[in-house]
Amino acid sequence: MSVEKRIFKIPVGPQHPALKEFEHFVFTVDGERVIDVGFRIGYTHRGIEKLAESKTYIQNLYLCERICGICSAAHQGCYAQTVEELADITAPPRGTYIRTLIWELERIHSHLLWLGVAAHEIGFDTLFMLVWRDREVVMDLLEMISGNRVNYAMSTIGGVRRDISDELKHKILKGLDILEERTKYYKEVCMKEQTILARAANVGILTREQALKLNAVGPTARASGVDVDLRRDDPYGAYDEVPFNVIVYDTCDVLARVLVRVDETFECINMCRWLLENLPEGDIRTKFARKIAENEVVGRVEAPRGELFYYIKSNGTDKPERLKVRTPTLANILPVCEMLKGGYIADIPIVLAGIDPCFACMDRALFIDENSEKKWVWSREQLRIYSIKWYKEHGNEVVRERWKQ
Amino acid sequence: MLSESLEVEKEIVDDFKKILGADFIDGQVQRKGRVYIKVKTDAYKKAIEHAVEKWNTYHLSTISGVDLGENIELLYHLLDPKAKITITIRTEIPKSDPKIGTVSDILPSALVYEREVYDLLGVIFTGHPDLRRLVLPEDFPEGVHPLRKEWKPEEVK
Amino acid sequence: METIELLILLLKFIVFPGAIFCIAYGFFLEWFDRKLYAKFQNRIGPLLTGPKGLLQPFADFVKLLAKEDITPVGADKLGFTLTPLLTVAVSLFTLLFIPIHSLTGVLSLPGDVLLVLFISTVFGLLIMFAGYFSGNRFSMVGTERTGLQFVGYEIPFALSVISVAAAARSLEITNIVNYQVNILGLPLIVFTPIAFAIYLISALAKLEKIPFDIPEAETEIVGGWQVEYSGKKLAFFRLATDLKMVFVSGLAAALFLGGPYGPSIPGLEPIFYTIWFIIKTLIVMFILSNLRSLFARYRIDQVVHGFWKYMVPLAVLQILIVEGLIFMGVI
Repeated sequence: MSVEKRIFKIPVGPQHPALKEFEHFVFTVDGERVIDVGFRIGYTHRGIEKLAESKTYIQNLYLCERICGICSAAHQGCYAQTVEELADITAPPRGTYIRTLIWELERIHSHLLWLGVAAHEIGFDTLFMLVWRDREVVMDLLEMISGNRVNYAMSTIGGVRRDISDELKHKILKGLDILEERTKYYKEVCMKEQTILARAANVGILTREQALKLNAVGPTARASGVDVDLRRDDPYGAYDEVPFNVIVYDTCDVLARVLVRVDETFECINMCRWLLENLPEGDIRTKFARKIAENEVVGRVEAPRGELFYYIKSNGTDKPERLKVRTPTLANILPVCEMLKGGYIADIPIVLAGIDPCFACMDRALFIDENSEKKWVWSREQLRIYSIKWYKEHGNEVVRERWKQ
Repeated sequence: MLSESLEVEKEIVDDFKKILGADFIDGQVQRKGRVYIKVKTDAYKKAIEHAVEKWNTYHLSTISGVDLGENIELLYHLLDPKAKITITIRTEIPKSDPKIGTVSDILPSALVYEREVYDLLGVIFTGHPDLRRLVLPEDFPEGVHPLRKEWKPEEVK
Repeated sequence: METIELLILLLKFIVFPGAIFCIAYGFFLEWFDRKLYAKFQNRIGPLLTGPKGLLQPFADFVKLLAKEDITPVGADKLGFTLTPLLTVAVSLFTLLFIPIHSLTGVLSLPGDVLLVLFISTVFGLLIMFAGYFSGNRFSMVGTERTGLQFVGYEIPFALSVISVAAAARSLEITNIVNYQVNILGLPLIVFTPIAFAIYLISALAKLEKIPFDIPEAETEIVGGWQVEYSGKKLAFFRLATDLKMVFVSGLAAALFLGGPYGPSIPGLEPIFYTIWFIIKTLIVMFILSNLRSLFARYRIDQVVHGFWKYMVPLAVLQILIVEGLIFMGVI
């Protein structure tokens, strides 16, 4: 057999058990080794950037929240704080503190969720189940504060929507104690369990130079020894007051990404405690005029996955002229392709999961039902009937074509 | 914000004015850590190169494209995490002939962002090795770019 | 007379302790495994079908039988259809050699240890064929992995069985059981703990359970060799997996735990021996379920490396220990 014939192309996605969302990667493999990686994104493109131009600032709060389910508070908070800057108002300290608290609780929830998914990707389902059980604690806390488990709808322009009572404060502190204890245990598991070490250490290497060159963000960059954290580097919210450490590991592999996130969870827990203990008195929000004069603002937050970027331009009406979102996963897509090259097929899932991808975030801007010649919108039922008809006529050819490749 | 804390930002604006000369159109310090430099299209690449070399803004956050009606404005948001400074280089190109050179040779991460801007606003980045649509489907009609203001979502109905 | 004997033998093949008992027990073992695995993960496991979900594996099987059965265009039709049937048939056949209701299996011949070992390697081969015939890219990768893993676990598995055979100085399962019951008076695990451990670890690989579920790793290659199988064929593969569980735990009981022998009332041996068999196999399954909830999945190169570097020398060491014990007259 010639060398060329042993080279396969393995498609991963749009539907694949390792990817929890729809994305398409094509891996060129030689045996178990990955030679090249191509990606195709956009399967969950919803047209949010365009849609935002036709909605008011208040409506957009809830639209932005729905860009991503897992980092919804980061999106909404970032949008709210950017619009505040645009309108030249400042949220009262208590509002800022509560917003920061939500951000940090969300980071705990996101990192634990990630740890579970990563364990699942390497076939460690026991850890997956246990971590997700303990994640419920922080989900319950968020529900107690905001009334919602996923899209918290806490931030509003000029502050937050709900206050935290003293009684609730005690409950949160209690929940944080449980979380800290469990996270300690998981850290021990991650550092000692031989099978995890075998699968995570020295896998998916992204060197510091590559991370800098390709502008990796968030925990992915910090695991490659790049000391960058927007909470410290571009302070917003209450972060210039809260004491915290930026966690940096320099082994550049998946294990480092695990440890960065686990250690960050400890930092988050401490920050939440500090925020609750030092919660200032006062209002939780200020008034906001519906119309905003012409202006433009660049807003950034450190979402659980890395740098989340908003650029908003106003035009004097109550709707934005332009709303640009850049989510951390898009920034990490080139680094992850770099990590995958030269690795094993078996390592694809854990390396992909290593950047904590959130594809729904990545593909916002447009949604369309269109055929290039005739233009119409199909109902789902019509589409279904058409597809059944089409496959009856062409199904076999298509399948045969596919097999020939 | 206190005015004395903006010294570095002002220095950046002056520096760009000096380097770019006639190509420098406008420089603006919005607040601490936010600098906007408007340049002529010919000199935008020089400006970005200068920002990366002199001011160490190696991190390209993204490229934003804005439809201004006659023109399309491109904003390159560059960040230096250590100095906590964001320099935004902006330039306008005519909508009738939206062409601009790529910066992916200086900042490789621009590969993805340029594809996104091409996809949604139809700006052609000359020299980009693989300029395809990024997020829209393959069968989306040629030459239709939905983030342009004249395009309405109703058009597809 | 001959017809009656033949009829009894036929009943033994089909009803007890042959096909029907083994299939039913296979479903029970799957339920036991699932329930235990769920317990370790702080879940509940099967709950609704039958008491405590006892009938869930059977319900799954029936459901799969009723599902649409798709043969891909790119598959080799004959091989694709034949492999699941063969896998079930082969698993059932090996079970006839396992002593369940008495100290002898339904079938017993000189050298059947070797025969059972040989047939159990056919499991691996059949899995490779299954992947190969479906002609899917993921199946191909699964097949490659099965082949590689096969190279890893098969030798230590055989060596661990051989160390037992060496201790009993016989290559017949019945004789090995008899040796433990009548001559030694102790189960052989006392003298061959290393071989037992190696046997269990290679058995996990044989059953493709975590940490050795590499050929069907769901998150990596979407089910690997079985990705194209659906409906009846998948049902048969799942049934075969259950039967393999009975086989692996049954063989472990026979070779290491003194077979189905245990205290019993004279005259009622078949019933008591079956109960003892069930208890012993459940102990083995308990250990296997424990093991599989404790680890993450290894990578294929790590598995082959690990088996050859650690398991094979350990298995050889065990054989040497057994020989030494025989030389000193301990056993």
